[in-house]
Amino acid sequence: MQKKRLKKVKYFDYSLLFVIIFLLGFGLVMIYSTSSYNAQIKFNDSEYFFKKQLFAEILGIVCMYAAYKIDYHIWVKYAAFLYVVAMVMIVLVLSPLGYSAYGARRWISIGPLSIQPAEFAKLALIFSCTAAVNKMNQNSRKFAAIFVHLFLGIVLAGMIFVITNNLSSAIIIFGIAVVISFVAYPKYNIYVIVAGLVGALVVAVRSWAQQAQLSDNANFRFERILAWVNPEKFADDTGFQTVQALYAIGSGGLFGKGLGKSLQKLGFIPEAQNDMIFSVICEELGLFGALCVLIVFGLMLWRFVYIATNAPDLTGCLLVVGVFAHIAIQVVLNVAVVTNLIPNTGISLPFISYGGTSVLFLMAEMGIVLNVSSHIRMEI
Amino acid sequence: MCHMEKADFSLKARHKKKIWFAAVCILLIFVVLVVQMSYIMVFCSEYYLARADDLHERERSIKASRGRILDANGVVLASNKTVCTISVIHSQIKDPERVIKILCEELGLTDEEVRKRVEKVTSIERIKTNVDRDVGDRIRNYALEGVKVDEDYKRYYPYGSLASKVIGFTGSDNQGIVGLEVKYDSWLSGDSGKILTLTDSRGVELEGMQENRKEPVAGMDVTLSIDYNIQMYAQQLANKALEEKQAKTVSIIVMNPQNGEIMAMVNAPEYDLNNPYELNFEPETVVTGQAYQDLLNGMWRNKCINDTYEPGSTFKMITATAALETGAVTLDSQYYCPGYKIVEDRRIRCARTTGHGAQDFTHTVMNSCNPAFIEWGLRVGVDNYFDYMGKLGILEKTGIDLPGEASTIMHKKENVGQVELATMSFGQSFQITPMQLLRAASAIINGGTLVTPHFAVKASDAEGNNVKIFEYETKENAIKKETSDTMKGILEKVVSEGGGKNAYIEGFSIGGKTATSQKLPRGNGKYISSFIGFAPVDNPQVIAMCIIDEPVGVYYGGTIAAPVVRQLFENILPYMGIEKSVQS
Repeated sequence: MQKKRLKKVKYFDYSLLFVIIFLLGFGLVMIYSTSSYNAQIKFNDSEYFFKKQLFAEILGIVCMYAAYKIDYHIWVKYAAFLYVVAMVMIVLVLSPLGYSAYGARRWISIGPLSIQPAEFAKLALIFSCTAAVNKMNQNSRKFAAIFVHLFLGIVLAGMIFVITNNLSSAIIIFGIAVVISFVAYPKYNIYVIVAGLVGALVVAVRSWAQQAQLSDNANFRFERILAWVNPEKFADDTGFQTVQALYAIGSGGLFGKGLGKSLQKLGFIPEAQNDMIFSVICEELGLFGALCVLIVFGLMLWRFVYIATNAPDLTGCLLVVGVFAHIAIQVVLNVAVVTNLIPNTGISLPFISYGGTSVLFLMAEMGIVLNVSSHIRMEI
Repeated sequence: MCHMEKADFSLKARHKKKIWFAAVCILLIFVVLVVQMSYIMVFCSEYYLARADDLHERERSIKASRGRILDANGVVLASNKTVCTISVIHSQIKDPERVIKILCEELGLTDEEVRKRVEKVTSIERIKTNVDRDVGDRIRNYALEGVKVDEDYKRYYPYGSLASKVIGFTGSDNQGIVGLEVKYDSWLSGDSGKILTLTDSRGVELEGMQENRKEPVAGMDVTLSIDYNIQMYAQQLANKALEEKQAKTVSIIVMNPQNGEIMAMVNAPEYDLNNPYELNFEPETVVTGQAYQDLLNGMWRNKCINDTYEPGSTFKMITATAALETGAVTLDSQYYCPGYKIVEDRRIRCARTTGHGAQDFTHTVMNSCNPAFIEWGLRVGVDNYFDYMGKLGILEKTGIDLPGEASTIMHKKENVGQVELATMSFGQSFQITPMQLLRAASAIINGGTLVTPHFAVKASDAEGNNVKIFEYETKENAIKKETSDTMKGILEKVVSEGGGKNAYIEGFSIGGKTATSQKLPRGNGKYISSFIGFAPVDNPQVIAMCIIDEPVGVYYGGTIAAPVVRQLFENILPYMGIEKSVQS
């Protein structure tokens, strides 16, 4: 009988790579489908958005490869520096380098490139939270360690919310910090309690809004929440996007109208290639297609879980957990917004929504995950 | 190769557990998302799809062709001709200046009007309706982008003014406005169809998409009891009388007393149904705005049913009937007329101031003696008098199938004293419509059946199948048959020997009653002369009424209204196949 022995074999997660490539390709198809009408009208070139996204994705693949080649410990080593860079970039939005689009000042342009600091901030936060666990050593088991993570998250999230008025990115960043601290901190109860409180708050707000929308003297400050409860009542302004998305989703039915046959993308859903792209997926591919997309995301998350739980050390594990949190939160929030489960806030669907910066940094994260995966030691 | 971490930093089971815990949480959230998606896409799908379709579809309606109006013999009284509707679709216009210029020229509109509509950002804007087909064809031949020429129907009346106040006309959307056109609008109008085309958010029609088309359902043809020939002849007579007597209006109603079918209803002067917004006379001063609209409304009025008048002596038919029915008089009753009668403190004069002397009941009717009828009326008494007015339909609307029927203006029963009853007995101090009187007269002569006067007989589809036979209420035994027979005999005497002899035609048995009523206020020299005649007496097939409003010169009903009915009967009795029955 042959003796079992450990042998170091270079591991590579091909399933994850396949999922990434699939999502990129599918994203391109959907971006062409949703944006060609708007692009034709605005730029007289139906492939305008498609070409820009294609370019960003090629750049993203280069990024991913580079990140894959770099040992992930380096990121943690320079985490503090990258954290400061992220803060500086956010502040730069206010400088002449910053510029506005879609009615919000969220971008900075460097030469021909324009990037959204919020996307980089997500990455910087993952690094710094991981680094904090490393630094705290045994102390990370203490209750106070939670506050270190939350502090890191709150600073970046607060800056993004205050300076760029981007609530959704702030929520995602804070969410990533919470998930990393959850995995690092040994106990459960505090998180269960907080999650219970958040759930109760959502139910309370929802029932308050249901009451309030019945009375006529609705407060304008809460219109977004009122529109959440009854979007069709606010279909002309606050609820417009939501209602148009619901029309799209609802008219999809089980198998959809067929690829490219969405009517709602023809100017009814504003900027259909951005945050609301999932509604067009539903309209064109139906419940079946939308489920497939969710399953692919689920597959990706499962690969992250596999890599994180098999990572050679806690650093690698927490980096992957951060990426896991990022993708999971963003997918969940995007689909929840589009299906009107939560009030409307602009959140893009990873890999599929149009957006160069987003794809670039997402691909960098994928490179890091692949690098972590390559350190997995296989038993043969 | 990575260096080994210190033991405390290595991945422990608790970390793995936490990761799995987080993964399960996410999985649960995914399940919630899928449930919500399924709810929207399966259970709400129909609702949202319908709302979305509403948003995407542009509706262009296709008018249904309006049903025709036919006379009793199938002569078309109202029909349709093809006209065009010109509209513009803002998003498709390539050369707005050329569009504006050509539309101005062809449609005779001002630059300003057309420009406003062409430049308005709407999905479709109507420029002009009811454009002649030739003009529509010409505009279509320019092949202007963004200009749509839709064919459509316009109401057309082949005989212009024939029975104008009965038939009425339609508005710009082919909807009935007055007369039978509005009364039977639901039968005539049909259901409009529509073309649904898909558009993007800017209203541009999408190519290669299936057009959704709902075919229009044509309206029903409505057949009337009006006989074109009788109506035409009555109208000629009315116009002639109108001219000869320089009267304000002349109305003639010809009806079948057995079932209430109206064969003709004339209100001269009539107006041109093809140009209903032009006055049928030259106003003395330039009239605009509301005043002009008031004149039009007056012109469209059907005086036979929309206006009331004091009937005068023709109403004695009702008094006589009530008197006979209640047994207050018999044919042998006698009355001596000294030329007046004193009721309470009033002295009411007879038309013949010297008095009629001694008369039996029949002669009081033949002479139309007011003092005698005061006597008969007082003998009947207030209760019975109102009872019989009720039975003969005087106190209610006739229920004729035309809109806007006027109500009776009558004393309150509790306020009727001797004087009021006296004046009512010879047809004064209250007002009814001519149609109400003719209906009561029909019941008196047809054996006692109160009919509902009407025009519409049936509605039929384009293939000529009868879809609906209109039915009308009748009340039998309003009065006794014997009373009816007695009344017919008396009324025949009125024509053969009494005040109605100008309606006499040799060989025919004709009954009737004249009336000359003063218009209020009394003594203003304005009169309404009228005559009701029917034939043949044995089995009346036709009852006709002629009312001349404000004749100039001779104003006695027996002198001017009776001859009109005679001339009418001379022509229509043979036409209706009523043979001469009396040996001369």
